[in-house]
Amino acid sequence: MTIASAQTTLAATPFVPGTLEVGADGKGYLVGGRCPGCGAHYFPARSVCSRCLCGDVQRVPLCSSGTLYTYTVVHQSLPQFETPYILGYVDLDDNVRVAGQLVDVHADELELGMRLSTQVEPRVSAEGEQVLWFRFRPAATASGQERS
Amino acid sequence: MTEVYAVGVGMTRFGKYPDRDAFDLGAEASLAAIKDADIDPRMIDGAYFGHVYQGMNAGQRVTGNIGISGIPVTNVENVCSSGATAIREAALAIRAGEHDVVLAVGLEHLSSKFRGALAPEEGDVEGAVGLTMPGVYAMRARRYLADFGLTHAQLGMVAVKNKGNAAMNPFAQYQQLVTLEEVLASRPIAEPLNLMECSPVSDGAAAVILMSGKKARQLGMGRAVRLAASALRSGKVESEPASMTFEPLTRDTANAAYEVAGVGPNDVDFAEVHDCFSIAEALRVEGLGLFEQGTYLLAVGRGEAQISGRLPINPSGGLLGKGHPLGATGAAQVVEVVRQLRGEAGPRQIDSPSIGLAHCRGGKAAGVEGAACTVQILVR
Repeated sequence: MTIASAQTTLAATPFVPGTLEVGADGKGYLVGGRCPGCGAHYFPARSVCSRCLCGDVQRVPLCSSGTLYTYTVVHQSLPQFETPYILGYVDLDDNVRVAGQLVDVHADELELGMRLSTQVEPRVSAEGEQVLWFRFRPAATASGQERS
Repeated sequence: MTEVYAVGVGMTRFGKYPDRDAFDLGAEASLAAIKDADIDPRMIDGAYFGHVYQGMNAGQRVTGNIGISGIPVTNVENVCSSGATAIREAALAIRAGEHDVVLAVGLEHLSSKFRGALAPEEGDVEGAVGLTMPGVYAMRARRYLADFGLTHAQLGMVAVKNKGNAAMNPFAQYQQLVTLEEVLASRPIAEPLNLMECSPVSDGAAAVILMSGKKARQLGMGRAVRLAASALRSGKVESEPASMTFEPLTRDTANAAYEVAGVGPNDVDFAEVHDCFSIAEALRVEGLGLFEQGTYLLAVGRGEAQISGRLPINPSGGLLGKGHPLGATGAAQVVEVVRQLRGEAGPRQIDSPSIGLAHCRGGKAAGVEGAACTVQILVR
């Protein structure tokens, strides 16, 4: 894909409602919840904070960088996912854990604790529609460089 | 408090039944439990059915087929703890004085719904990024092995043990011994977990007849086993990233059960635990307080969890060997615990146990450790 086509499709519907947004700068980010009372973050956002029961949890953009808590290479999955793929749990820098696929990295290069960045990108859904979703990539190569 | 006894148990062999449905399997298990209890089925004054994917009024489709229609029937869904939750609801109804004799059944025909890996909760963001249940446990396994300096071979021994136990269980889906080499050579599902470390797609049903202590004494139910505790908890939403190598949900549910039963983990003689994957068995028994965190695989290596060991885990073969028809699993665990406590487990009989524990849990969604967890303690 080209950057241009990626930008034109970034206005597409998020793969799961309310989980992604595109900012004024045209860049996409994950959307979570932040409790104004105790500062806890949630992904996806929740109505009430589980820690302090504050009912005013706000929808906020989440940090686009974090560390790899653990990962796997999935060899058997549901029909809409082509295997194999790398899946990880990433602890974002605002202290919330998010599961996602990893891209632009070989399984042999993965290390627990390595730095990753969120990459919001278009994807064709199981129903054949263009949707917005995200993957993680190694932080060192997260400058938005083009890939084939 | 009214005491509750398990007075009859029955189950189908777990496996794949392309020519039968969940309701037929549920009827077979129910009739087996009624026969085992040796009671007049007209004595049953309530029934609870647990399942995940079997649709509307599954319970009534079973009771209507076996001549006990008309009684109160309740259908419960609580992911992999559905069958265990049906037993808990039945026990609560007896304790409340509403019923004296209750049929509790778990049933599932999974092979007609799924072929391979199951996704977590429908519509959940984790499922939508490609997280599978094997994927979740594979990631927990990777972190557990790294944190405690253990190897995949040590983990694979859990599958060897459980499939070995299943080879002695006529109700198990798999009845064949496997070697560690075969486990490690089976195809990868989600690394590091291989096929033989994942519970299979299974169909089956299991049933338990529960009775009030008063009724059991009145009828002279000599083989009755007391259900001393039946605890249920749901997973807490995490407000920050938590360790995935320990299970607060299992710990909290177990502590609730231990308190009601008036026993502690050191009193437990054996346990059936929710080993949906090899790593899951380690996470469960450590959460239950039966083994120290990070030590279970070493204990397995020393043979401590074998049927002949210090603390046998999953003598039935567990989910890895016996099979895992979701809704049926929790009820089948209780079937095994009752048979062991009665001394009726044949070649896989544990040496005169008096306290058995059944642990079941299921469900996974973003930001939650798990959906439902049950711990039941039975005493002979």
